Amino acid sequence: MQLTFDDDVEAFRAEFVAFLEANLPSAGEADRPSRSTADIPEWARRWQRLQFDAGWLLPGNPPEFGGRNAGILQQYVHLEELSKRRILHSFNPQGVGIIAASLLSFGTPEQKRRWAVPLLRAEITAALGMSEPGAGSDLASLRTRAVLDGDHFVVNGQKVWTSGAHDADVILTFVRTDPDAPKHKGISVLLIPSDTPGVTRRPFGSIASPDDLDFNEVFFDNARVPAENLVGPLNGGWGVANGSLGHERTLLWLIFAERLADLLVDFHPVTTLDEDRYATLVMDAHALRWMGSAALAREARGEQDVAALSVLKLLGSEAAQAATEAAFESAGADALDHPVLTGPLSHLSLEAYVSGWFERYARTFSGTIAGGTSEIQRTIIAERVLGLPRG
Amino acid sequence: MQSEFDEDQRLWQSTVREVLAKECTPALVRAVVDADADPAGLWQTYTNLGWTQLVDASEMVELAILVEELGRATDPTPFLATMTQFVPLAPGVAEPKQTGAAVYEGVTARRDGDGWVLDGAARHVLDADRADWLAVVTAEGVFALPAARATIRRVPVFDPVLHVGEVTLAGVRVADGALTGADPEKARHQALTGLAITMVGACQRVLDLVLEHARTRQQFGVPIGSFQAVKHKAADMHVAIERARALAYFAALTIATNDPRRRLAASMAKASAGECQSVVFRHGLQLFGGMGYTWENDLQFALKRAKAGEALLGGADEHRALVAKESLALTGVDSRAAHV
Repeated sequence: MQLTFDDDVEAFRAEFVAFLEANLPSAGEADRPSRSTADIPEWARRWQRLQFDAGWLLPGNPPEFGGRNAGILQQYVHLEELSKRRILHSFNPQGVGIIAASLLSFGTPEQKRRWAVPLLRAEITAALGMSEPGAGSDLASLRTRAVLDGDHFVVNGQKVWTSGAHDADVILTFVRTDPDAPKHKGISVLLIPSDTPGVTRRPFGSIASPDDLDFNEVFFDNARVPAENLVGPLNGGWGVANGSLGHERTLLWLIFAERLADLLVDFHPVTTLDEDRYATLVMDAHALRWMGSAALAREARGEQDVAALSVLKLLGSEAAQAATEAAFESAGADALDHPVLTGPLSHLSLEAYVSGWFERYARTFSGTIAGGTSEIQRTIIAERVLGLPRG
Repeated sequence: MQSEFDEDQRLWQSTVREVLAKECTPALVRAVVDADADPAGLWQTYTNLGWTQLVDASEMVELAILVEELGRATDPTPFLATMTQFVPLAPGVAEPKQTGAAVYEGVTARRDGDGWVLDGAARHVLDADRADWLAVVTAEGVFALPAARATIRRVPVFDPVLHVGEVTLAGVRVADGALTGADPEKARHQALTGLAITMVGACQRVLDLVLEHARTRQQFGVPIGSFQAVKHKAADMHVAIERARALAYFAALTIATNDPRRRLAASMAKASAGECQSVVFRHGLQLFGGMGYTWENDLQFALKRAKAGEALLGGADEHRALVAKESLALTGVDSRAAHV
């Protein structure tokens, strides 16, 4: 056990901090905000490319893919320094964090060159097509169909919740290629350019506003996709899902640690009861980081403990939700104001800090619903950590 | 920053577990309660193993590992009071085989010639009734004196394994040499952390018993642990325990390294242990059904140890207030850096 990081990790942190201080785009350069998770304004494209070229975009990657072969603890302090400043390294987080990562793990050299590098360099953006109207928590029951016809797949079906799809150049789409196989064994992954004839994207508003357009329905009507856009093995899509989301899961809890850290600043307790709730926030923030450090050590040793990550996700997402509600309530009637600034404005964050408390609270439900609901997490913990019988 | 135990710590934990599995058995605890068996032999075992020599604050993590297992086993000896309450207030006073208790409030010290006169009373002093020594915190300093100098009465409490005493000091004269020079605030952090990790151990025991029950108890033709309503309560117990355990060891490490966050950390440990016992008691007794409601079931010992811990040294409410105060005091210049 130790309270601090080793010197080599701190030296790495110092080097990154120096890079940030020298290169962060100023508020003046940020002439317009991003409007969705696949919309990168020109100034932010330059910022992402700068990080790519300097090996700071995804430090765990090799240099040709925007990194410097850094270890997991270095990756952690990298994200910690970004989070402290409430900044994103990319305004297309799923494109960089999931889709490019999937291509680097499962793609062909040609796919890496043609898609992964442009994604990492912010030349194009991507969306992730997994959920369907009938396939949410039970993702493996997805029904979007792809049939091989010569050197193309013909895709029919519908995705939903596809964040940023209307602004994305390409959609990493999970499709059923073998309807007769057991449900986990008939899934494949296709990279589908969003301008393919037969692809229709329809953004829809969130609970926050009809103008908050990030979620999309995506319809595929005989969309013809080149067979070379198959990512990973045919019918091996479930493995791609687990592989590409696996790394994401390792650090997923950090998002909640960041939200809790933001709330420590943005939540201003007024009454004694507010202070009591603030104390809960303080404890959750400390506990999550302390528990998460063990997950990082396991990752550094190459061990996978998916069930233990469920504990972090459940604790973190529910703590962020409770603390946001507490901050919301402590604001009294001021909480009605919308839009309004409830935290320091950061032009380098996708999070809407100009949003009022209702919106911030509502957004915490993405934490308890997306990426495996809290209910699913509890079941995973009970079965895989505590050994209770399935059923 | 790393919360994982190192190799020595893991080895130490498994050694402690092996010893306690053999020596501090459920049968012994049951005999202490129902047949008035004397735990002195067990205390002898602990002292022979050198466990009472973990007296340096720098060994707080190792002590916490031991105390967690003692909490899990419902230790019937005065180890917790001696090692996490008395010793930090009176280092080097007792022999390794002697026991001690701590009086934190209710006593005043008055200068009298070249000595001091202690007056006052304290209720609910852990293990005072079977202590060889007392450490007494006063506004003038911390005094150590043989327990025989005080009038001590065991107070009946709901936890049948726990010893709690009422201490009365009526004009007890002590010399200057009785002042220990200990820092009572740091000692309190050790006591809070010790009690918190004891509660975590007791809660883990409740969960262990509940899981065993949920896997074996059949209703409607299946183990009750296959029902989602049962699973989700068990998962909530596990998360509460992991959170409290994390904060208890974080506190232990801030004490061992004399980190400035130890005041905040000790209160976080005690507050989260209190929140944990609330969830674990409620769900634990509920999931056991009627069987947990009987005297014969050992579940009661762990439930009571956890709940009694909440009542001592300030409960979760009190410590949450301290956490907020301490944390908001740190907020200011760079609150994010100050916090985590």
